[in-house]
Amino acid sequence: MSSNSHVQTPLHYLHGAFNKTGVDRALFNDQVDCGVVIKEAPLSAHLNLRGDAEDSAFCAAVAAVLGVALPREPGFCNHHQSASIYWLGPSEWCVITIDGDAAAIEAALREKLSGHISIVDVSGGQTLINLRGANVETLLKKSTVYDCQALAAAKPGQCRAVQTTFAKASAIISNRCDGSYDLVIRRSFADYIGQWLLDAGAEFGCRIEG
Amino acid sequence: MLLIHCPHCREAREEEEYSYRGEAHIVRPLAPESLSDEEWGDYLFFRSNPKGIHHEMWYHAVGCRRYFNVTRDTLTYEILESYLIGQQPAVTGATS
Amino acid sequence: MSRSIMQKNRLGSGACTDASKRIDFSFNGKAYQGVAGDTLASALLANGVDVVGRSFKYARPRGIVGHGAEEPNAIIQLGSGAATVPNLKATQVELYAGLEAFSVNGWPSVDFDLMGVIGAFGRLMPPGFYYKTFMYPKKLWMTYEHFIRKAAGLGATPVERDPDTYDKLNQHCDVLVVGAGPAGLVAAREAARAGARVIIADEQSQFGGSLLASTQTLDGIAATDWVAQLVAELQGFDNVQLLPRSTVFGYYDHNFLAILERRTDHLGLTADQGARQRLHRVRAKQVVLATGAFERPLVFAHNDIPGVMSACSVSTYINRYGVLPGNKLVLVTTNDSAYQTALDWHQAGRQVVAVVDTRTDPQGDSVNAVKALGIDVIDGHAVIEAQGSKRVKGALVAPINADGTAVTGSARGLNCDLIASSGGWSPAIHLSSHTGAKPQWDEQIVGFRPGESKQQERSAGACRGTYSLAACLAEGGNAGAEAAKLAGCGDGTIHFAAPVCQEYAQQPQQALFLLPHTQSTSRAPSQFVDFQLDVTAGGVELAVREGFESVEHVKRYTALGFGTDQGKLGNINGMAILANALGQSIAETGTTIFRPSYTPSTFGALAGRDVNQLFDPERYTAMHRWHVEQGAEFENVGQWKRPWYFPQSGETMFDAVNREGLAVRNSVGILDASTLGKIDIQGPDAAEFITRIYTNSYLKLAPGKCRYGVMLKEDGMIFDDGVCACLGDNHYLMFTTTGGAAGVLAWLELWQQTEWPELQVYFTSVTDHWTTATVSGPNARKVIAKVCADIDLSNQAFGFMDWRDGTVAGVKARVFRISFTGELSYEVNVPAHHGRHVWEQLMEAGAEFDITPYGTETMHVLRAEKGFIIVGQDTDGSMTPSDMNMDWVLGKNKTFSYLGKRSLERSDTTRDNRKQLVGLKTLVATEVIPEGAQIVFDSKQKIPMSMQGHVTSSYYSACLGHSIALAVVKGGLNRLGQIVYCPLADGRIIAAEIVSSVFYDPKGERHHVE
Repeated sequence: MSSNSHVQTPLHYLHGAFNKTGVDRALFNDQVDCGVVIKEAPLSAHLNLRGDAEDSAFCAAVAAVLGVALPREPGFCNHHQSASIYWLGPSEWCVITIDGDAAAIEAALREKLSGHISIVDVSGGQTLINLRGANVETLLKKSTVYDCQALAAAKPGQCRAVQTTFAKASAIISNRCDGSYDLVIRRSFADYIGQWLLDAGAEFGCRIEG
Repeated sequence: MLLIHCPHCREAREEEEYSYRGEAHIVRPLAPESLSDEEWGDYLFFRSNPKGIHHEMWYHAVGCRRYFNVTRDTLTYEILESYLIGQQPAVTGATS
Repeated sequence: MSRSIMQKNRLGSGACTDASKRIDFSFNGKAYQGVAGDTLASALLANGVDVVGRSFKYARPRGIVGHGAEEPNAIIQLGSGAATVPNLKATQVELYAGLEAFSVNGWPSVDFDLMGVIGAFGRLMPPGFYYKTFMYPKKLWMTYEHFIRKAAGLGATPVERDPDTYDKLNQHCDVLVVGAGPAGLVAAREAARAGARVIIADEQSQFGGSLLASTQTLDGIAATDWVAQLVAELQGFDNVQLLPRSTVFGYYDHNFLAILERRTDHLGLTADQGARQRLHRVRAKQVVLATGAFERPLVFAHNDIPGVMSACSVSTYINRYGVLPGNKLVLVTTNDSAYQTALDWHQAGRQVVAVVDTRTDPQGDSVNAVKALGIDVIDGHAVIEAQGSKRVKGALVAPINADGTAVTGSARGLNCDLIASSGGWSPAIHLSSHTGAKPQWDEQIVGFRPGESKQQERSAGACRGTYSLAACLAEGGNAGAEAAKLAGCGDGTIHFAAPVCQEYAQQPQQALFLLPHTQSTSRAPSQFVDFQLDVTAGGVELAVREGFESVEHVKRYTALGFGTDQGKLGNINGMAILANALGQSIAETGTTIFRPSYTPSTFGALAGRDVNQLFDPERYTAMHRWHVEQGAEFENVGQWKRPWYFPQSGETMFDAVNREGLAVRNSVGILDASTLGKIDIQGPDAAEFITRIYTNSYLKLAPGKCRYGVMLKEDGMIFDDGVCACLGDNHYLMFTTTGGAAGVLAWLELWQQTEWPELQVYFTSVTDHWTTATVSGPNARKVIAKVCADIDLSNQAFGFMDWRDGTVAGVKARVFRISFTGELSYEVNVPAHHGRHVWEQLMEAGAEFDITPYGTETMHVLRAEKGFIIVGQDTDGSMTPSDMNMDWVLGKNKTFSYLGKRSLERSDTTRDNRKQLVGLKTLVATEVIPEGAQIVFDSKQKIPMSMQGHVTSSYYSACLGHSIALAVVKGGLNRLGQIVYCPLADGRIIAAEIVSSVFYDPKGERHHVE
């Protein structure tokens, strides 16, 4: 088995990065108030799941394996403990399990699912970051054309989530309903998005944590 | 900057999430080899360019990755409907 | 610098100024003082500065006319150096300590204008001047333009980098209220009360609009106090965003509006903290336009002399700023509203010489109030000419006929230094017009009202021609409630009673634009319509005489409305004069369409944060930092940063590429190939689907095997290529070009979703998931063997075009034995979070073989030596597989007519003389032909020569010891051995022999090395 000591998450090189207008980088410490704090999740299982949302057996099997119901309504995601399922399209979902083992989840799903489905491990290709702080919504307004206020319309047990533009890249944006937002971003764009957030968040302070 | 309703996401989203994919309802001939060069050329190159009602295909590239059709007025840019691939438009030039 | 601190025209504090707080500033190098709350214009008027610029064409001295966005003359440049801002209107620049401003027009100075002295320039520039003079000969335009710009002055762009930052906000709201005058304020309050998300924006520093200069009371309190109360009320709503200093400058499709917010401009040239300006990109469900109206100046002879102003602007300077721009006023008007200016002037203690009314026996409330003060009202008269040069010295007044078309008696002079004029009001319909709504002429209000729009908007107050304050307030309230209701908030109920305010009985205004002169328009002294571009009434009439009838043509011919003020003052007068000259009504003549921007915005705000390293996303591979640490030079491939070459100390690019290439040919090299597009394909119909997409067949490709494929657009032209691997039953992995990844995925989805939905197949991008390290060279197997124990790497067990799963450097990996160099190659794929680790382990394992990292340039050379094409470099969207000498990739026995197949039989794709891919070997071994060079068969042919093809790829090959090139040449495959020529721009001609496109190892034996 591989050891994970050498693993680099997509924002690896920006952990600890900080920007606040008028504050010298050298003087930075945790005492500096930041309007937004960005925290990258540890290496997790990310899978792309395809199948027929009208097939109740498919939905039931997914729920049984992941412990989370498959969101069938556009623009929603379901969370339970470390697992989340995001609606991406009428037959497409993003499954994320924090600290999870993608291969094991894929194997478990393949055992339960039948028919025309697709399961793809994309763990290396994306990362989940959480944005919290007093100025999160302003930062989102600077970054995406989607109306994040529309993400507030959550239902019990469900949060709103959409895939949309983020700066000049894209992201899945979801409202965690605890004042913070999760973003799922692509690895190759992670540096760009990290730098973008640091730049756009400079007026109220912004830092990235690993 | 258009605001386009995606029938899959079931909400109106900004134009920059989409890409335009040309005229809708262009069907690929089932037996291309049986067509004359002219007939094949019609399928390949010739598109309508109406003033007014136009049925066109859009791709929700930075969203659900689904294709769908839109009926748009090329004069006013009004979007009159969005509908799924395989469906027929409710609004057509003939009725307007 | 000379110093003048006299503010001779300062009355005291105005409603928005504090005369006790003095502010130093300079204008054209001279020091002045203004007060807190001043604009640059009000401060200049306070100091008695009459001439603020020179006119564009005639270089006539010009003074301040207006008090806001309509100002045509006081165009200034702020500051100098990197932060300088050109072409601002002094009426919109808030005064701050240390402000430095300069006139943009007037060379060498506004007071002593060289062009004015020469005086001939104007005669050189009649209407249509550009067309008549400058278009021929074309090549002289550059010379003319330089002269005109210097002489007339259009501001100077900063030449240094802008020191400021700019920002954008994407906003969404239920109701956007544009304008915070009386109508806008009450509209916002009603919408807010209904629960709507409201944004209210106003271009001025303070909310209140016309109320800031009003002497009226609302609910018994002063207008400015009422405004302050309402603003405080709005601030109390959580659902209201107030944006002062914010100009809504564009109204675009589907209720998308752009607002430029000036956050720090009033504090100085450079923002100390944060963004100087912010662009709000607003998607509003409903819009209330409450943009007010501009007072229309009257057109009369020499009406451009400094000291001729709009009547309402004079009132604004008195009431809002505490400034009296003169001593002795003559007011000329066609309506009642301007009488307020006479009252204000009189109230301020200066002399109203006379009010000249074009109507006969006016009797409105304001008129009678003026008469009651003993002010001389001269009815049935007009000011026909202003007198003076750099400042008004008098007004020539004459009786006119009832319809205002002719002078009926002798003129007399009135001694004055200020002429205020009012020809009525023009609603500010600009934003309405942006929506495509056609402005409607209204005889009642003598102005254009907003037309019917396809957008979700309504106008309220003066911008729809409603001028009484009470009516504006009522309309605003209704508009706010209605907009909120249509946005889904509330039921349209009005919650707040309209404030009680004074109403004045008014008599109808006269529809008069050009005041007559004793001489005909063509002979009278210049009667200016558009001050900024020096368009006169005579010029408009000349355009008609020369045959122009359409308003759009006349506008372009005369340049009416083309200035930075966009004709806010002059356009309607121009239309009216045109209509009269054409003998038709204004409604028949129509108006030009206003387009964004309402007022200019900075490039900085439009760019926002998308500048410098954030201009375009830079995509990095997992090994990016390693490449940086090794000193790699990078190449942009799409948005990816790819290592181009890895120079060692002292190496040129040429040296580095030669060294890297030889290392691969002689031992082993390593390439970061992570950027290639990768698409996972699953489903029972996957094989059938990709067989329809590619030109060759995948129906019999077994798990563990790969195949190279080319995909065509339906027109038969190559669009992408790459290897596709069968991963298992109904499971494939497709590689695409780096730049083509997103396009190929969209292409696959297109055909599956729209044409063949019956085929069960799903596509998922895995480009970012996998990191790819390509180990290539005769020692590649030895390197892989050191870090991979669980794959049998022998030729027999793991052949060319096979793939195997295994463990590389302790990480689960997928290894492909495919080759783009012609050497033995293994492409090691691992999940990207292990990418750098595996790369470093491969480097360590390869150390004993001198493993050499190589970049895209060496990759290009190595593949060119093998004659492998790069889609997008050797092809350009007009090349078929046959053109690329790749008939072998066309499946001959496919039952389904794959994409593009039919087009390969079109007459154009089957003709003989198509350009075909060949190799070129230069006769001089060291001469490298520039890529893109054209190819001719006869080097002695006269220009224009017959171009027979072009070079698509060209390099020096270190391993072959000579230059090589790939080219497409007409009928090239039948011309092997012939000499062709590449004539270059510098006069050289490079001769080359047409050879096979495979230069190296033509039998393809090297990648089978044991």
